[in-house]
Amino acid sequence: MGMTTETEVQKNLTFALNATPMEMNNDENLLERLRDPHTVRQGFARLVSEYSERLYWQIRKMVLSHDDANDILQDVLMKAWSNLENFRGDAKLTTWLYRIAINESITFLNKKRSQNNVSIDADDSFLINVLESDEYFDGDEAQLRLQKAILTLPEKQRLVFQMKYFEEMKYDEMSDILGTSVGALKASYHHAVKKIEKFLGENN
Amino acid sequence: MKSRFNKLEEIDRSGRPFKVPENYFARLNEEIMNRLPEKEPVQPRRVPLWDKVKPWVYMAAMFVGLYITIQFLTKQSGIDNMASRQPVVQPSPAASSQPGNNGSAGQITEEEFYQYLEDQLTKEGYFDYMYDHYYLN
Repeated sequence: MGMTTETEVQKNLTFALNATPMEMNNDENLLERLRDPHTVRQGFARLVSEYSERLYWQIRKMVLSHDDANDILQDVLMKAWSNLENFRGDAKLTTWLYRIAINESITFLNKKRSQNNVSIDADDSFLINVLESDEYFDGDEAQLRLQKAILTLPEKQRLVFQMKYFEEMKYDEMSDILGTSVGALKASYHHAVKKIEKFLGENN
Repeated sequence: MKSRFNKLEEIDRSGRPFKVPENYFARLNEEIMNRLPEKEPVQPRRVPLWDKVKPWVYMAAMFVGLYITIQFLTKQSGIDNMASRQPVVQPSPAASSQPGNNGSAGQITEEEFYQYLEDQLTKEGYFDYMYDHYYLN
């Protein structure tokens, strides 16, 4: 079966993080289309083609399974479509979409925890089974260990680590999306790295 | 100098372990666009006449209420002032000695007051006369 690797799309993922004036202009242009009832559908097609990959990878890193990420992404885009009128343009379009994606992923994870009788205080190690049984994950031993280490982190810390480590997102952008100060995000990332290092050292 | 976080750096980040099916994103975009429901044209909401005039009616009612209250209070204070301006007639010692006259002076008219004085003088003349005839003689 043919597969597309994450590396092929990685170069596009930094769009939101390093938006140039031209790209910001593109965003303005897209917003104008989305606000006009005659061009809203056309505009949304552009939004989907520009943002769906980025959103997918954010969701995928959180829920790990491709099938779950696919379902959540579809829900996210449907929600974005039905709530377009509520997007006032106070935040960037990317920020708004990321927020929806993260909220939907957290809701999904909460349901999963509830189904697996996992308490709030416990970590999400049960998700490693999901990853191991996912046919669209072919990481080596070290990468699987890294994922296990990430799953031991508290939810918010894990989110910060994933955004920074995998997507190389700027702290400012993360701050807008998560509504947390840059200082707190830096501290959170630092703690996450220390914990992961410790885990990797102990489980080598 | 070796980084403190060397374990994490040892992991190869170039080879991404997560994969997606071939042409997944192209197909996803198409599928999403096919699934999108039509946007309901936003109809301008018809505002009933009552809803339009309601704020004005409320404001008018408030002013009427205010007017009535002010009128009432003004009238009350006018009555009080009139009462305080009414001349208080102090009854004479003779008048105060008359039974049934206590405290009634404030309510009599000027005419009645003069009549009262005249009556008193007449009575006093009568008592003088009686005194002269029965005790001095």
